[in-house]
Amino acid sequence: MSVNPAPTITPCDVDFTKRTEYHEGLEAIRAAHRVLKEVAFAPSLPRKGYNDRTLYVDLTTREVKEKPVTQQMKDLFVGGRGFGLWHLWNAVTPATRWNDPENEIVISPGPVAGITQYPGSGKSLVVSISPQTDIPIDSNVGGYFGPLLKFSGFDALELQGKSDQDVILFIDGQKGIIRVETAPLEPADSHVLAEILTLMYAEDEADRVNISVVCTGAAAEHSLIGMLNFTWWDKRRGCIRLKQAGRGGIGTVFRDKKIRALVCRGPAVKADLNHPVDFETLARTGIKLHQEIRTQDNLQCKMRRNGTAHIVEIMDAYDLLPVHNFQYGSHPDTHKIASYVWEGRCSQMTSDGCWYGCSMGCAKGADGLVLKTGPYKGHMVTVDGPEYENAAGLGSNGGVFDPDSLLELNFYCDTYGICTITYGTLAAFVMECYQRGILNKERTGGLELTWGNAEADLEMMHQMARGEGFGRIAGQGVKKMKELFIANGWGDPQLINDIGMENKGLEYSQYLSKESLAQQGGYALTNKGPQHDEAWVIFMDMVNKQLPTFEDKAEALYYFPLWRTWFGLMGFCKLPWNDVAPADNATTAEPAKIPEHVQNYLALFTATTGIKIDVETMLMQSARVYNFQRIFNIRMGKGLRANDLPPYRAVGPVTREEYESRSERYDKQMLDEIGVDPAGKSIEEKMAITRRYRLDRYSQLCDAVYARRGWTPDGVPTMARLKELGLDVLPEVVDIVKAHGG
Amino acid sequence: MRQLKINLPKCDGGRNCDHECEEACAVKMFKLEDRQGAALHIQALEDGESAAVICDQCGDCVTVCPADALSRNKLGVVMIDKKLCVGCYMCIGFCEKGAFERQPKWLEPYKCTACGICVKACPHAALEIVDVPVPAPRII
Amino acid sequence: MSMIQVNGDPLAWTPGLTVRGLLQAKNYIFPMLIVTIDDRRVERADYDRELIPDGSVVQVIHLLSGG
Repeated sequence: MSVNPAPTITPCDVDFTKRTEYHEGLEAIRAAHRVLKEVAFAPSLPRKGYNDRTLYVDLTTREVKEKPVTQQMKDLFVGGRGFGLWHLWNAVTPATRWNDPENEIVISPGPVAGITQYPGSGKSLVVSISPQTDIPIDSNVGGYFGPLLKFSGFDALELQGKSDQDVILFIDGQKGIIRVETAPLEPADSHVLAEILTLMYAEDEADRVNISVVCTGAAAEHSLIGMLNFTWWDKRRGCIRLKQAGRGGIGTVFRDKKIRALVCRGPAVKADLNHPVDFETLARTGIKLHQEIRTQDNLQCKMRRNGTAHIVEIMDAYDLLPVHNFQYGSHPDTHKIASYVWEGRCSQMTSDGCWYGCSMGCAKGADGLVLKTGPYKGHMVTVDGPEYENAAGLGSNGGVFDPDSLLELNFYCDTYGICTITYGTLAAFVMECYQRGILNKERTGGLELTWGNAEADLEMMHQMARGEGFGRIAGQGVKKMKELFIANGWGDPQLINDIGMENKGLEYSQYLSKESLAQQGGYALTNKGPQHDEAWVIFMDMVNKQLPTFEDKAEALYYFPLWRTWFGLMGFCKLPWNDVAPADNATTAEPAKIPEHVQNYLALFTATTGIKIDVETMLMQSARVYNFQRIFNIRMGKGLRANDLPPYRAVGPVTREEYESRSERYDKQMLDEIGVDPAGKSIEEKMAITRRYRLDRYSQLCDAVYARRGWTPDGVPTMARLKELGLDVLPEVVDIVKAHGG
Repeated sequence: MRQLKINLPKCDGGRNCDHECEEACAVKMFKLEDRQGAALHIQALEDGESAAVICDQCGDCVTVCPADALSRNKLGVVMIDKKLCVGCYMCIGFCEKGAFERQPKWLEPYKCTACGICVKACPHAALEIVDVPVPAPRII
Repeated sequence: MSMIQVNGDPLAWTPGLTVRGLLQAKNYIFPMLIVTIDDRRVERADYDRELIPDGSVVQVIHLLSGG
């Protein structure tokens, strides 16, 4: 589809201070709290980025204790995802399932998190055993909670056990108090709950920016796909804003533990609360990036205007936008949900960073939406988004091209506490099943889940929140739905398995990997599951043709996952790394890596911690955590080659229509690459040939990637690699590797 | 709004003065040791003309500040509330005129407050305080 | 027929083909591009007027996306 030129955009003139408010019953809700446990602690500020202690809470016994951050933890795991995985490893056994009390939710920001000068420096990593995958999920999230937790005095928060009743954990970093309180009257859904709790725990209006809430919503109680919202108080709008630790179902674990919310009240934020070694470098580097964003963003990705939704029409132009459950890469109606639509819907005259200092400001808000369905019908709300994933996942992937419907789907996912990426992909799967007769009105309880039927889609979501009907089934996720539909004999098992876009139990995120072998690996050769968090190599592979050999692809799938993992050790957001570039980036030797930005990040780490680092050391830091996570997966029963296999829809054309939609390309590939003449062959024959070829290519890719990563052909890190990384000091890690032929 | 304005033809960029404007601003207003830290700067150009960096109170920084620490006072002058400032320096980065300043010893940046101290100090009467309409905020 | 190469693939060439014209023909709307003609980089400001000679080897390198 050739993109229509963008129409003139009328700036959004919605009064962004207006919306339905929810705090009327606040006093009654507060009055119903009982304090179950109260503990005093000495608040502290980090020194060189670390407090050197973490907070542990056992929800069963209500034990609250501090644990030290050891030098070994810093050496091997650094922070963020590393600390999370380390605590989780020590908390669980190979038999632990997500709803066992010993499963933990660990929230860890990272040593650089909380600096205010450089865009995208407030992130946290949340880690838990996932209800969807049964292995660790790591999920990154913005909002203020992580930095405020650090500035209260803790480098991580560990939550273990299960409460016998809904509780709120309140960490007051100003007064030095930790409280576990009952929460009998609190509403379930985030946009209501977080507003009430922010106002409840702030001492006055000015204090609201010092409060951050972690919460989820009603759907997290009835599905496996619950996520966590992390809030911040938007002063200008006068409302809470939400960012998500979306993937993997951590919100489901949260509600299973009967946590209603976490609330952190931090001290007033200042420029240097991390007590960095070299503040000047932070200041200078931050100012440089602000200037770069000011001068380049409008010429490049327009993140400040559109957030990540700027790539909707771009993905469509490159045949990468997921349409109808990843069958196709473009659609004639994409212009209805393209970036310029959102530019006109999202308020522009404000500052939209999810932590201070983010001049990329991609957390756009669509204000003034009046909801048409569900329990909040008629309410006026601010929608956090849409991000690209929402526009593609909730939109094109399900055939929904109406912006208002898309915003409503986005809003309800957020407040109900479910991941938009996961919901988008599972809804698309459900719709394709419906279109193909695998599902029908009887089986869906009356929901006509055809492409683009947003009303039915929303009703499925409302059912999910109520724990009723087909929504309850859908909330189990693609993997369990596939098993159910096959067990019920509702369709051809191979077809169902082919079109269910999940790997390791986690749904695919919203990019078509079908035509990029490197991205097939980028998705399925991941630790947590097919989230593009680790690698996005589609342009390098398909468009630039920079990865012609298996070795080239393997090199990209070695470097980028490690580089991208590093952000999650530190507390950084990846977007300011590659969604803006210096004006002279094109003149550098490896422009795809944005070398000046890489140097910025290394400098920020050194300036905060005093630890010298170069690219090699940085890769080592990441590789330790990355390989540790792989071994953790093996420990939990996955993590081997058999778990790295993609569904065929992610690799090639499953159906006739898919083959025919690109027949010229597929026929040409058959001739040029496979060396087989397509002439005279039936579609079925050609599809079988293509399938065999592509699956074999994927297998060869695995061989090349595993070798480059220092893993055995079965995907197990070798002892040699462990020694290189210094992970051989951990006896249990060594045992697992040896037991699996590493 | 109250705004510092320079008449560039009258300013000689320090050729025949001692940068008294910068001196007065930095030393008297901001209590700094030398004029490098002034909230305005004048410069002699090679072609004989002069250039100046001056805050025109445009208000871009007000829109951009994530802590809502910048706002117009009763006179329309953009002022920093140091208590609210989080030291992110987005104001410095987004000021197209380069009119924001910072000192390593202060976490908060600073800027011209149209106080007029430089006006009195200028030996060429090149500076004046004027009253102009507040510009509409723009998308930045 | 006159041909050029774009990212390794052949493309029909016509006289007067500019970089902008090429980007439109290929629907390369991604904003972060590095364009070279026979290894010589073309600045973005010149896309509208820079002519692509017959037989050129053109690279249109797309930087990464997908945050």
